[in-house]
Amino acid sequence: MSQWFESAIVRAEQVNDWLSPVRAEALQTLKRASWPTRKTEAWKYLSLRRLEKSEFAQQQESAQITPEIIEGLDSLDLTFVDGQLVDLPADLPAGLSIVSLQNATDSVKQWAGEIIGDIKPERHLFGLINDTLAQHGVIIDVAEGVSVERPIRISYMSSEGSEAHTRVLVRVASNASVTVIEQAQNKHNSLHTSVAEYAIHEQAELTHYGLMMGGGAAMHVAGMHFRLAQQATLNSHLVGFGSELNRLDVDVQHRGEQADANINAVYLLRDAEVFDLHSTIEHEVPHCTTDENVRGIVADRSKAVFNGRIHIHRDAQKTLAELNNKNLLLSREAQINTKPELEIYADDVKCAHGATVAEIDKKALYYLQSRGISREQALVMLNFGFINALVDEMPHSALAEWLRPILRNRFASMDVQ
Amino acid sequence: MLKINQLSASVEDKTILKGLNLEVKPGEVHAIMGPNGAGKSTLGYVLSGRDGYEVEGGSAELDGSDLLELEPEERARKGLFLAFQYPVEIPGVSNMEFMKAAVDAALEARGEEALSSAEFLKRAKQACKQVQLPLEFLKRGVNEGFSGGEKKRNEIMQMLLLEPKLAILDESDSGLDIDALKVVADGVNSQRDGQRSFIVVTHYQRLLDYIEPDYVHVLSDGKIVKSGDASLAKELEAQGYAWLQGYEDKNGAEEPVA
Ligand SMILES: Nc1ncnc2c1ncn2[C@@H]1O[C@H](COP(=O)(O)OP(=O)(O)OP(=O)(O)O)[C@@H](O)[C@H]1O
Ligand SMILES: [Mg+2]
Repeated sequence: MSQWFESAIVRAEQVNDWLSPVRAEALQTLKRASWPTRKTEAWKYLSLRRLEKSEFAQQQESAQITPEIIEGLDSLDLTFVDGQLVDLPADLPAGLSIVSLQNATDSVKQWAGEIIGDIKPERHLFGLINDTLAQHGVIIDVAEGVSVERPIRISYMSSEGSEAHTRVLVRVASNASVTVIEQAQNKHNSLHTSVAEYAIHEQAELTHYGLMMGGGAAMHVAGMHFRLAQQATLNSHLVGFGSELNRLDVDVQHRGEQADANINAVYLLRDAEVFDLHSTIEHEVPHCTTDENVRGIVADRSKAVFNGRIHIHRDAQKTLAELNNKNLLLSREAQINTKPELEIYADDVKCAHGATVAEIDKKALYYLQSRGISREQALVMLNFGFINALVDEMPHSALAEWLRPILRNRFASMDVQ
Repeated sequence: MLKINQLSASVEDKTILKGLNLEVKPGEVHAIMGPNGAGKSTLGYVLSGRDGYEVEGGSAELDGSDLLELEPEERARKGLFLAFQYPVEIPGVSNMEFMKAAVDAALEARGEEALSSAEFLKRAKQACKQVQLPLEFLKRGVNEGFSGGEKKRNEIMQMLLLEPKLAILDESDSGLDIDALKVVADGVNSQRDGQRSFIVVTHYQRLLDYIEPDYVHVLSDGKIVKSGDASLAKELEAQGYAWLQGYEDKNGAEEPVA
């Protein structure tokens, strides 16, 4: 049993605010839940041993850490430091409202209270922990028909020895569009659970970035959960690397016809880093599409876990779904555990899935060499290109330009055979 | 410049080149024509060192050095360039990054100083304009999603930047509109300086209206079977290749033009 988990339950009993009904229900479920072991399917490849015995300081003063600057990105910045919301943008464009969880007005509480904890599936243990413990968070509301040009950037940062639980709730009303960047920059020994729930209404569009870029001893368990109404569009770009306990659960629910979800995920791991991505896409209604592309490179003793499930319900006829996971192993000690799953209960659907250990395209290699580029350099270009192809698809070029050299340097530090 | 002597080569155990002779001197433009499947592209691949193309006999020298012993990148650094009939798409590697690496390698091989990023960018933009591709093509993945014609222009752009000694253009005119045809021809003509040589593989006389060849060869069944001057291309255009049937038996393979 985990000491940390026991203490979390004790602490959960003491939380009291407007979300108490939600919290109480989660706590009930949590008390019946058991702490994951190696035999727990969802945690088979990611050890929680270090967390089990961890103790974190309570109620810290929030430390002075500022988010990284992304040049050329004109964003509306929301910053969480050790779970506290330290920065909220002042001037908001018309049609966009952002309030902290604690300062929610009655009308916000009314709609937010109904969907909080509802978009996130109940099965996520750390989601339940977050339900009970996250006292800080933010509620973002984009009004009907409004297109918010400036991306909203949420930074998660932690100081040494801190434990934080943060919550994000986003409603994109019908015909609205917005970009939300969730960027984890936890660098120190710390624990952070973050849960973000997105309700994307009819014909609304969400561009989303989930950048799980922690550092060494930071432990981060994140949930990013999306519910799509009719003709809603989700474009999500996920990136994971940097720490030894880095977990992301992504859930997409297609609830209205002709909803469209595109997910690109990239990981680039070295040393003893572990990135564990679980995604579940629920096709509940007909005529929806999902395109999920997951690519990773693992070096040294690092480990990548990808568990991608697409569940096509009986009524979800005419579903188009593709799930693809490609990996490049740079070292014999590196590990990839991949499990793409299609579960189909409808009979008229087009689906494909696959996982491969990527091979270098010989024609491309020859083409580069025929231009005088050495075999070694060509291999580096092609290997990095394999990841970079997904970075190229990021619609915010400032973000892509910022990320590319970070990934490139990371890649340059790895040995390629 | 290039001396090919009795070159035989096979792909997947099938012999494609069957004792091919060809000599190209500095500054010359040679056109190679011939039926589909004759081995024209194979010749380019064998010369540039593509994996899977086995040399069975004969030799190929570029300025006195044995090409066939070298890695593909070493051949390129000696000044050989092949504009591909079917250029390869490489998503994730930008055209710019690709060409910078190629130009760096070429300059280093020639013992010239590397270009600063700014100088390279300037030249790349120039070349891009010369082949009439929008500048954003420099940022895109190598040939990624390019149309057929755009790919051919991109090949010519690379040739302009690399300034090879010997460029083999494999059907760089196929699938091109008239404007693009001129772009390709201008690309070649702008590089003709009396020293650089070209082998232009084509099925059509019209490219040769713009690039005046010194020699025209017919490649059939893995050999050069007939050589002549520019007028040969016009004859071929009128007659096709039906005369090849039984031609070799009577005449044997022709000697290479000197
Ligand atoms: N990988 C391969 N495996 C088997 N046969 C091959 C392979 N590559 C080429 N060939 C064969 O070699 C022959 C010569 O092909 P090549 O591409 O050189 O012809 P070509 O003269 O360029 O024709 P085209 O005018 O159609 O471009 C053809 O019969 C072709 O099918
Ligand atoms: Mg050919």
